[in-house]
Amino acid sequence: MGSPRIKRFHQHHPQAVSRCLVAVCAAGLLAGCNGGTVDKHALKQDSKAISSLATEGSLFAEKVAKGESTGPYTRIQADNLGTLAANLADSLGRRKTSPGIEPKVRKAGKLAAQVAEQFKALQDHPSDRAVARSVQQAFGPLADQADKLAK
Amino acid sequence: MNKIFGVALGILAAIGGFVDIGDLVFNVAAGATFGYQLLWVVVIGVVGIITYSEMCGRVSAVSQKAVFDAVRERVGFKAGLITLVSAEIVNAMTLTAEVGGVAICLQLLSGLPYRVLIVLAAIVLAIVVWVVNFDWIERIFGYGGLCLLVFAVAAVKLHPDWGAVGHGFVPHVHTGNKLLYAYFAIGLLGAAMTPYEVYFYSSGAVEEGWTVKDLGLNRLNAMVGYGLGGFLSFALMIVGGALFLGKGIEPETLGSIAMGAQVPLGEIGLILALVGILFAVAGASIDTLFSGAYDLAQFCGFEWGRHKSPAGAPRFTLTWIVLLILAMLAVMTGVDAVKLTEFAVIFSVVALPLTYLPILLVANDKAYMKEYVNGRLANTLGIFYFVIILIVALTAIPLMLLTNLGQG
Repeated sequence: MGSPRIKRFHQHHPQAVSRCLVAVCAAGLLAGCNGGTVDKHALKQDSKAISSLATEGSLFAEKVAKGESTGPYTRIQADNLGTLAANLADSLGRRKTSPGIEPKVRKAGKLAAQVAEQFKALQDHPSDRAVARSVQQAFGPLADQADKLAK
Repeated sequence: MNKIFGVALGILAAIGGFVDIGDLVFNVAAGATFGYQLLWVVVIGVVGIITYSEMCGRVSAVSQKAVFDAVRERVGFKAGLITLVSAEIVNAMTLTAEVGGVAICLQLLSGLPYRVLIVLAAIVLAIVVWVVNFDWIERIFGYGGLCLLVFAVAAVKLHPDWGAVGHGFVPHVHTGNKLLYAYFAIGLLGAAMTPYEVYFYSSGAVEEGWTVKDLGLNRLNAMVGYGLGGFLSFALMIVGGALFLGKGIEPETLGSIAMGAQVPLGEIGLILALVGILFAVAGASIDTLFSGAYDLAQFCGFEWGRHKSPAGAPRFTLTWIVLLILAMLAVMTGVDAVKLTEFAVIFSVVALPLTYLPILLVANDKAYMKEYVNGRLANTLGIFYFVIILIVALTAIPLMLLTNLGQG
């Protein structure tokens, strides 16, 4: 390995690498954006996310109902998952939609809000098994409805 | 006998210390999305980190200099500076995600307010780094991280299809969403071969005073420690596949990952998972913190080392304190630690060639390494991995955009 070769390689690259870093940062910012119009693909993705949250909520509530969770975990995790659902509800309730799918988008927004409400109930009553059982039962139909919207 | 015991303890610590927030997020998410189909990528990643860590440790043992010292000496100022800047950017993102992860785990365990816990986490990490010696840091967080073995038990209790698990270790191309599959494959490679790990490993070798007599220990540490650590990655992915995939759940929080142990094992599984994640992520925070300070100090020629008193290496000490404060402030802005982890892992993939090329060059430099220069196997693997690294570095950002950060 000759060091001149090493030097040559690196002498050619600083500017290219700097440009790449700038592009990488810009791309990262773009990828992080979540605005714009809700089209069919976005509706499908968001409906899948609602279904995922409702299914996870059902599993989570089941463990709480069985007494297999801790109070702090139940309260904080319900808050975290509820915030994700509330963000989806907010986004689906106010963003512009592609023509013809607005009713479905708004329905998805309402479903997300209902999922957020169930998580709020768990958050407010982290040790109440009866509440957890009721929340578990509520999550099932919500997940099914979100699944239908995702198809 | 004592030496064997010491090696065994070191290996245990390495198993517990292998998994960081990137591994947790990407392995479980990959399992939840593709089941066991990406297990082979973890194997590729683990062999890659073993290959380059062994080189780093050898360079350190032969030259008594850590990788960044060697980078500055052998590849020149400009190229070294670019490597330094990219390493520090990725490091800062990773550290922020790890500190956020520590605060989230503390919150899930205690229920205390998140922002208070961010400050508490930063203070505790600073005290540990300041007061506790290097060996004990490794032991405390490595052994605490062993609680993550609960995911191995959970994986078995979830009764996965072991035939499908076995098939997952055979490299293959997915027939469904190829872009998403490629995105997760790249994320898993990036999580396994994170740059800070090799910088920390080589600097640690210098801190522990390795010489050519320790080359066997270096090889053993790299192979067994990372190899068995990879076992935890398999367990996490199997849990993701067995629990979340079938139910259509996309785990988006650290709490959801812990649920992977709660569902099959109940409350004790949940607590062990949270404690394991806490120690693993806190340990990785310290590794990342040191790595950032090591890189800058070695590049600039400052005195450095955890074994030196803060007064003996003031600029090194100041660097890690500043890095920790910056990470704490960044987490306080409310940035999502899990999302940031995904960005950090993908950006680290872009920076991988800048990390690994200098290592490969230095390990091949006869003037530097003398008779301990790379052998045929190390070179074959090193070049093979460098080609893979180049490909994934070029495709990481386009895939991140095309898959909307893995959302499909």
